[in-house]
Amino acid sequence: MRRRLLVLLVAAALATGCTPQPGGRIVYGLTLAPSGIDPHINASSELGIPLTSVYDTLVYQDPKTGEFVPGLAQQWEVSEDGKVYTFYLRRGVKFHDGTPFNAEAVRFNLERIVSPDLASQRARFMLGPYERTEVVDEYTVRIILREPFAPLLDSLSQVYLAMASPTAVQQWGSEYQLHQVGTGPFIFVEYVPGDHLLLRRNPNYAWGPPVYQHRTAQLEEVEFRFFTDPATRSPALESGAADVMGEIPPQDAARLQGSADFRIEAVAIPGVSLMLFMNTTRSPLDDINVRQALLFGTDRKAIISAVFRDTSPVACGPLAAATFGYNPMVCQFYQPYNPDQAAALLEEAGWKDTDGDGVRDKDGQPLVLDFYLMGWGYMPEVGQLIADQWARLGVRVQSQVVSYPEALEIAKEGRHHLMPFNLSGSDPDILRRFFHSQGGFNWSKVNDPEMDRWLEEGARVSDRNRRADLYAKVQDRVMESALIIPIRDYVNLNGVSNRVQGLRFDARGWFPWLIDVTLRR
Amino acid sequence: MRGNIQAVKQDLGCPKQNVLARALCGVAIPPLQAVSPRRPLRRQPLVLCSLLWLIAAVLGAMLAPYLTPVDPLTTDPSRALLPPGSGGLLGTDFLGRDVLARLLWGGRWTLGMGVGALTLAVVIGLPLGLAAGSAGGWLDGFLMRLVDAWLAFPGLLLAMAGVAVLGPGLSSVTVAVGLAAAAPYARVVRAAARAIRAQPYIEAARAIGASPWRIALRHILPNTAPALLAFAATQLGWVLLNGAALHFLGLGVPPGVPEWGAMLAEGRAYLRDAPWAAVFPGAALTLTILAANLLGDRLGQH
Repeated sequence: MRRRLLVLLVAAALATGCTPQPGGRIVYGLTLAPSGIDPHINASSELGIPLTSVYDTLVYQDPKTGEFVPGLAQQWEVSEDGKVYTFYLRRGVKFHDGTPFNAEAVRFNLERIVSPDLASQRARFMLGPYERTEVVDEYTVRIILREPFAPLLDSLSQVYLAMASPTAVQQWGSEYQLHQVGTGPFIFVEYVPGDHLLLRRNPNYAWGPPVYQHRTAQLEEVEFRFFTDPATRSPALESGAADVMGEIPPQDAARLQGSADFRIEAVAIPGVSLMLFMNTTRSPLDDINVRQALLFGTDRKAIISAVFRDTSPVACGPLAAATFGYNPMVCQFYQPYNPDQAAALLEEAGWKDTDGDGVRDKDGQPLVLDFYLMGWGYMPEVGQLIADQWARLGVRVQSQVVSYPEALEIAKEGRHHLMPFNLSGSDPDILRRFFHSQGGFNWSKVNDPEMDRWLEEGARVSDRNRRADLYAKVQDRVMESALIIPIRDYVNLNGVSNRVQGLRFDARGWFPWLIDVTLRR
Repeated sequence: MRGNIQAVKQDLGCPKQNVLARALCGVAIPPLQAVSPRRPLRRQPLVLCSLLWLIAAVLGAMLAPYLTPVDPLTTDPSRALLPPGSGGLLGTDFLGRDVLARLLWGGRWTLGMGVGALTLAVVIGLPLGLAAGSAGGWLDGFLMRLVDAWLAFPGLLLAMAGVAVLGPGLSSVTVAVGLAAAAPYARVVRAAARAIRAQPYIEAARAIGASPWRIALRHILPNTAPALLAFAATQLGWVLLNGAALHFLGLGVPPGVPEWGAMLAEGRAYLRDAPWAAVFPGAALTLTILAANLLGDRLGQH
């Protein structure tokens, strides 16, 4: 009898002490304070971290399979010509303010996004060749495009195209970002810009997508705080000021990994790797031999080990390996690091050090390259290492740190030789912005009609295999033509307290599914 | 009337001890005939140490190539973040560069910027202050209101605005910091000049028909020189601090240049694992600024 009691007691202790309990609150550290957080208007990735849990989207993407699964839309059909998407909506869904979710709400949201008055920085462009939305009946809605647009479902699965309460949007107008209302597992309580953002559990939530593991949120509250200085992130985590922290600097991650109370959840972010664009229209980089020499003469492994402490993989091509359509064949190019071959290529191109000053020259011109970089994303650190590696090749680099608007200006005028950038995005159509002759980020100044055609077709066809083929060709071409020097795939090092369990991220890699997070007591 | 205003200002909390600080407050510097008795340098170990440190820093920067065979820009990731001892005398930074070599070479940027900015401050501030102080009248009023407006902005803010206009780089940091330092300098020159202008020998010079130019350049300027030198030394500290701050914020030298402020900013990320990468440039900056201030203070007491 006594023994049985003991067993029962132990079982009870186990049940209460070691299994996750509903309730509780966590503090989640954000790494920059966005200027605005209306997902329909603003472009920041940071805003999606809290707001993904405030809103629902029409569809969701399963990060494991890449397949799209039902969200607020239970089913959908795409017309033969790829221009009409019909969504059959879930019934009984209510916004946090009680407004019912229906076809009219979908139309209201999409029309809001494309309205020129809103001046959307991101959401509008994610809709591509959007024409209009038709309400078929209360729970059926049709999105009509001017031409086929393959990334539409990917767009619709992101918080930027999330469904907001029409009542709240109309009530608050330009103040809406401070009073956001969605249908998601958490309710937006308050936002004090630059200070904190508070979410509270939505007890009525019952329409989560199949990728969520719980029916309602397990935590009572989640508070988001801003830790913009990278050096403060790990101390904040270790002192208990935050329970989860994004973008831990690599050197701190190594230390946290060895601790008993914290762990690092490294999430590979799909999109365009950190890479140096080489301006193919400006001498001497108009010579492919020189560009290839720079690729062979860049020790990327050394960069990854010195700057990133081996926490992220060496990038092989323009697309990060975590992106749909990534072509692993690009890894055969310009590997391994080979300074001798780099020197031989430069000699072949006519660049020799004739005056013995350590810098190669040709026709009296020294081999000096203008390198503009931005002060974030480890670009200055990477830049220093590259400058020193190339100095040994006899190539001098003049680097200058510029702001993002200045960088755009410099790129437009083509004043750069080299400029680094990276961008996250889960659809390979992102390549169109960088390597299409008309792309907004065509910093290599490439003009390849064949590649333009592949990129245009990739945006149109919906067949995944055909798209993968097209983007594989694009990636091959980018590396064959030596347009870029890929450096590293982005990996977000999340520092997590071990009392936080069940933290998972969506297909974008940035946005946590907080509904499933539990606390271990 | 003037005297009354100055008395009021003094009562409103202008510092009582340091003449230079009082000059900034608008109080005329007393004439310099009553110099306090000098104590020999060896009786003032702090001042002596300051002087020695500044000389060492300047020599270190000038002789950097002879003092260390290591290139301050050569990276070697396999030797990253080695502690002092196994990684050279002061350890290595995150790219395996020698911290000592970078400190010595960095003095060229940091101290050079300081001297350059100070020169600029003197070149602009001295004529302004001298003209205002010697001429008096409407010119004085006009120039000093200008200086007042200039002084209304905190110096660092003014310097940051300057860099924003000129674009980042070593020369724009030097110019911006120098311009920001010119206003207080003009104010001190003016106060000293006014004090001298009230002296009987100036009146005598005027009586025998000396031109205002002659009076300003031959009589007032030489007699204000000691005060101006002292204030320049104090300002060296200010200029170094603000210049380093701009470099720290990434508004100055391009990445990789071993300027002390920039080294501090870079080393800060590794403070927990490799404190030497940030502590040594920080200490070098602190000691240099402290030394400049102590020297300036001592000069100002005379």
